[in-house]
Amino acid sequence: MRKLALAFLVCFLFAGGAFSADDVIKIGFYNCLTGQNAFGGQLELEGVQLAHKQFPEILGKKIEVVVIDNKSDKVEAANAVTRLIESDKVNVIIGTYASGLAIAGGEVAEVARVPMLGTSCTNPLVTQGKKYIFRTCFIDPLQGAGAAAYAYRDLGYKKAAILTDVVSDYAVGLAKFFKDNFAKLGGEIVSEMRYQSGDTDFTAQLTEIMSKKPDVVFLPAYFAEGAIILKQARELGAEFRFMGGDAMDNPEMVTLGGDAIEGFIYTGFAYAPDMPNMNDVAKKFTEDWYKEYKKDPNGNAALGYDSYILVLDAIRRAGSAEPEKIRDALEATKDVLTVTGTTTFDADHNPQKDIGILEIKGGKKVFVGTVVP
Amino acid sequence: MIADSSGNRIRNNILTLASLALLAAFLWLAPKYLDGYKVRIINLIAINAILGLSLNLIYGMAGMFSLGHAGFMAIGAYVSALLILTPEQKSMMWILDPIAPWLMDLHAPFYASLLMAGILAAFFGWLISLPILRLGGDYLGIATLGFSEILRILIANLTSITNGPIGLKGIPAHTSLWVSYGCLLLFLAAVIRLMKSNFGNVIRAVRDDEIAAKTMGVNTFRTKVLAFTIGCFGAGVGGALMGNIITTIDSKMFTITQTYNILMIVVIGGLGSITGSILGSVIITTMLEWLRFVENPITIGAFRMDGKPGMRMVIFSLLLVAVIIFRREGIMGMREFSWDWVLSRPAAVRNRLASGGTPKGGD
Repeated sequence: MRKLALAFLVCFLFAGGAFSADDVIKIGFYNCLTGQNAFGGQLELEGVQLAHKQFPEILGKKIEVVVIDNKSDKVEAANAVTRLIESDKVNVIIGTYASGLAIAGGEVAEVARVPMLGTSCTNPLVTQGKKYIFRTCFIDPLQGAGAAAYAYRDLGYKKAAILTDVVSDYAVGLAKFFKDNFAKLGGEIVSEMRYQSGDTDFTAQLTEIMSKKPDVVFLPAYFAEGAIILKQARELGAEFRFMGGDAMDNPEMVTLGGDAIEGFIYTGFAYAPDMPNMNDVAKKFTEDWYKEYKKDPNGNAALGYDSYILVLDAIRRAGSAEPEKIRDALEATKDVLTVTGTTTFDADHNPQKDIGILEIKGGKKVFVGTVVP
Repeated sequence: MIADSSGNRIRNNILTLASLALLAAFLWLAPKYLDGYKVRIINLIAINAILGLSLNLIYGMAGMFSLGHAGFMAIGAYVSALLILTPEQKSMMWILDPIAPWLMDLHAPFYASLLMAGILAAFFGWLISLPILRLGGDYLGIATLGFSEILRILIANLTSITNGPIGLKGIPAHTSLWVSYGCLLLFLAAVIRLMKSNFGNVIRAVRDDEIAAKTMGVNTFRTKVLAFTIGCFGAGVGGALMGNIITTIDSKMFTITQTYNILMIVVIGGLGSITGSILGSVIITTMLEWLRFVENPITIGAFRMDGKPGMRMVIFSLLLVAVIIFRREGIMGMREFSWDWVLSRPAAVRNRLASGGTPKGGD
């Protein structure tokens, strides 16, 4: 009998983690920590971890963040979300960079009725028709309209060209929304050229664009390819200005592009470490980020941080960690102060946020202001 | 074993039926007692097994080095998805270009779409096999790789049909355990019958020595085309099942990496072995998920190590390297599973022990 009791005790000790699970609120985090999108996913993870360090508790319970890599792969993304829900039994999910992956993960979360808050998945399809899926970032139609408005109204450019990565859902979507809005405002699209992720020589497309003499070239690329394109354009002696989207916002960009990216302007989340009139949340985030990581934060880091804040806010208002109640609270999110501006979800679960305009000046990212499409 | 005595054959059939019943019981109980994550992995095993089997038919059994499997999967996945999606879903999804009008009202039930996926993939396989199967060896690999890449780029650019790089979403999750294992068993039975028939001998003959087969009067070209087409059928069905389990597809899913994954299953299992492809699928699919634990933070006493994302792939690759170094022919080599072999095991072990020999060098 005593042996049996001892065995029970041992089992209890080993299973200690499982028994105390009731006092823990689990937030699942899946993102691209390896693979082609790792540069964005890693920054978002660091943002979430920073927020977790600052706010480790809610409703008197400890918060545990369960981190899972999706390898920038759709099958893995769906597997990762299934695992978070079924094995780790998380209450709510944050993730991911790249819309295609968020769509794959979102389908799983929707069926399982666990709320998911996307970090930087800007494609409209991610939350379309979904009850449990939300996102912290703005969507591409808004961003495309903002970029077009800024180029046409504020900068006075009348002739634009577009250079798009045809196999990237992000690039193709954003290019279309820019094009539609620029034409609607009265501008003219003089040239539309295409390339494919993985290409390294863009001189043919650039020469063709140069022959059409546009004022501005819209380049909805990821920063790695974007930097190469900018370099080659400068080598060819291109005079026009380049404009990009939020995927160009990465601290590595200046290192990669060097002098060639001077004057590059892009739309992004309304946050930069040196922006004036920062709100209190952004101030605290910036200070603590530099203390923790000793490198520059960017929009993705801010979105990771914001996602955690929004989830926490929803749990606080719900007064419970039940997935269903968190979902209801998330839907009612209104005027929550976050790093990238105040967040309010609209009927499609997308936040109505300011679009930031950023420019590279003197080898540094400078916050120019915000734009309303 | 010169020939199966009829007693043995009856015994083997009973054993096969019994294991099928066991599998059915497992499939029936699995969703009740296992969580959705494990069910998903079990499901993926069946899909990967279909894909592995179909590539093995082309590469292992008929000896045609094909790197185009992802392309045929893409055909299957897109055909099935476009047939299943309802007109309402379609009208919402095409945000870049309007959808082609003829596609809008095209609709079919799941099983019909699965069949169409296989048939169309097989049709395209047949079509391109006519010119490229005149090539052999590495050249065939390059030509099929080229075809697969062309297809992927077409899918990314034919926006009015495929919704371009944005892909399709909201595909109903039709792939239950019954569906995937049903498809696997049907395909498995077909391949086994095929390889046991005279045509199976002809395929092997073509693989081992094409010139000798030709001099024996075998139409080697026709044989290869047929094997290739059947393999493509399997790829199409596998792709369709894959789309119906992830519920969203896009062109980036079907890159060369996808082909490599299947190739890995075939090579690890054993080129030319049906059993090997199934075993390979079980091992590769479970390993990839099971190894996730190495990325979690590990606590041993007071020592705490932070998880490193990507560790999983490092260890996985090391395991692959080890298999290739120590067992180049794969786990099964060219052997197949048979009841006679299983039932002779206890006797073989007893003999070995009785003769006092060390286990090394036996068999």
